[in-house]
Amino acid sequence: MRGPKAGATTGPTTDGPTTASGTVTARAGTQRVVQLGGGRARGPWLAVVVHPRPVLVCLVFLALAAVAALATLAVGELGISLAELPGVFAGHGTRAQEWALFTSRLPRLGVAVLAGAAFAVAGAIFQSVTRNPLGSPDVIGLGAGAAAGAAAAALVWPGFVSTPVGALLGAFLAITVVYLGTGRGFAAPHRMVVVGIAVGAMSLAFVQLALVRASRESAQEVALWLTGSLAARATGHVVVIGVALAVLLPAALALTRTMQLAEMGDDLATGVGVPVRASRTLAVVVAVLLTGAAVSVCGPIAFVALTAPQIARRLTRSSGPGMVAAACCGAVLLVVADLVAQYALPGIIFPVGVVTAGLGGIYLAFLLVREWKRVAV
Amino acid sequence: MTTATTATRAPQPTRPRGSRSRTAALALGLLAAVGLLVLMAALGVAVGSKPVPLGDVWHGLVSPDDSYNSAVIASRIPRTQLGLLVGAALAVAGAVIQGLTRNPLGDPGLLGVNAGASMSVVLVTAFVGVGVGRTVWAAIPGAVLAAVVVYVVGTGRAGSTPVRLILAGAAVSAVLVAVVQAVSLAKPDVFDSYRFWAIGSLAGRTAETVGQVAWFVVVGLLLCFAMARALNAVELGDQAATSLGLAPGRTKVLAAIGATMLCAAAVAAAGPIGFVGLAVPHIVRAFTGADHRWLLPYCAVLGPVLLIGSDVLGRVIARPGELMVGAITAFVGAPFLIAAVRRGRVGL
Repeated sequence: MRGPKAGATTGPTTDGPTTASGTVTARAGTQRVVQLGGGRARGPWLAVVVHPRPVLVCLVFLALAAVAALATLAVGELGISLAELPGVFAGHGTRAQEWALFTSRLPRLGVAVLAGAAFAVAGAIFQSVTRNPLGSPDVIGLGAGAAAGAAAAALVWPGFVSTPVGALLGAFLAITVVYLGTGRGFAAPHRMVVVGIAVGAMSLAFVQLALVRASRESAQEVALWLTGSLAARATGHVVVIGVALAVLLPAALALTRTMQLAEMGDDLATGVGVPVRASRTLAVVVAVLLTGAAVSVCGPIAFVALTAPQIARRLTRSSGPGMVAAACCGAVLLVVADLVAQYALPGIIFPVGVVTAGLGGIYLAFLLVREWKRVAV
Repeated sequence: MTTATTATRAPQPTRPRGSRSRTAALALGLLAAVGLLVLMAALGVAVGSKPVPLGDVWHGLVSPDDSYNSAVIASRIPRTQLGLLVGAALAVAGAVIQGLTRNPLGDPGLLGVNAGASMSVVLVTAFVGVGVGRTVWAAIPGAVLAAVVVYVVGTGRAGSTPVRLILAGAAVSAVLVAVVQAVSLAKPDVFDSYRFWAIGSLAGRTAETVGQVAWFVVVGLLLCFAMARALNAVELGDQAATSLGLAPGRTKVLAAIGATMLCAAAVAAAGPIGFVGLAVPHIVRAFTGADHRWLLPYCAVLGPVLLIGSDVLGRVIARPGELMVGAITAFVGAPFLIAAVRRGRVGL
């Protein structure tokens, strides 16, 4: 029963009555405290605050993801019925079915789930660091920078570094320019947004340069990738993003607590003993790594990083950057968007980036109108 | 908000003694700018991805024959003319938008007008199928629609700020570009011709296109020039303008019509080219101050200098291919956006 706040509050929290049995659930307001081990004399060795609402939201997201995942695996030109699906998994399907499942649909699904989660966690971190939903990687040019780096690695100087490394370098370069360009570091989210738009424009211009210099075949492939596409993903892509997420998601979770405190303001957070600057830098590095990894496997898919943490935050009604909820939401969004992109119009398969850009742009406009009704920017 | 606009170096009316020499200096400067433009236009004809000796360039200009070099030169002439028109249109439109919205970050690309125009061009080309010539008319409804939506979204209850307008422009652009991409992927025949146009390119345009766009640009420029004096008053704020006996509402509508015509014509001819409208007025203001009577003519001359220069650069750096001019202007213009933010000109 480890919820999204697992690890958020560790230590001897003794809100409720403790019994000798060891595992106790006590109510304190809307949150439950789960304690493990220990006795009345020593106190529990682990106590975790569990908020029921985020747990519920995560379960709903996971259920939705499961439905969308089954649809991704089953629907297609070569339909595999749900009844057949376990058989094909076990190796009893036709060769065509096995090819469709293992070479095409499973990697696609894997990349969609993992990249969606990676984008969403990166977005949650950035939105928390800038204390503004508009400070997400899409808006501040991080995705575009990673795309430019990947294009440079793949087309301009092939063989110098691998494409994922190129994407990472591009993302770091972009965030450095944004950091220096604002003149105030990450403390001015609105400046970051405007500088990020400039960085994004320059990155895309560089990508165009790379495309012009490349041969036509590789240029077309890269052009498709640049809008953000999940078509023709291989198992290698799943491994790249899977490893990145396995390393970086725990790091993000470990940072959740300090980031939640830092959201109260630098002075206050420093006052209660949070090393604000260090944890912020660390969080940004984690977010940039996540973005770079995700972009290198599926292109700069727009606005998942913006929308997923916002939706998760509204549904969980939590104050902090709920990483797990955001990750689940991002996975659902990307898998569903991919389904829409493939089957919304019969006969035409869009790159998933077109769908997310369209829907995400509308959501961004909605967010702007809502935000500005309440506060002055 | 007002601090942001007055920061753009208002002319000093308190020094009448120096004003005559200032006028003379500005007029001379304009002349020099025209000289620069002539030079740049010559470069635009002489330099390209295919190197042509200068003697052949002159020969191709004066007495064109059937030779290959003559054909190359002939293809560069409409291209340079188009650079002239589009550069002037974008720079003046940018200056007018900056004055109208009292927003130093005004640019047809940043505020979504270019994306709107390109959306309606692509939609009309895909579903109605008119020729290139009539696409100027096709671009106008999209440009107007995008401008209105960005303005509505970007103006909260507490009024608009440069950042709100830019963000609204980014959101609206994202949606419109997604529509454009969806349509162009659904109709590959449209996509083929769209690939270069989508970034903004002066390549492969005929003299016919130039002739059709020229009318829109000339009318739009005249309209904007006519509004120059009134725009000075608008920049002081609605109340000040009204108390000076001007009708700010009428000025705004007329100037907006002029700017929209310019944007639509530029996009229809060359695709959505960003940052020319941002960078050129920013450079020009350093010389002229905020007086639109000097600002707009300077923009009209130096806009083409930047655009044709960028186009020439794009032809040279990616030989034997060529880089679309829109990519170059983004490289040249985006740093101005960052510089404006750093200097705190946007009220952040």
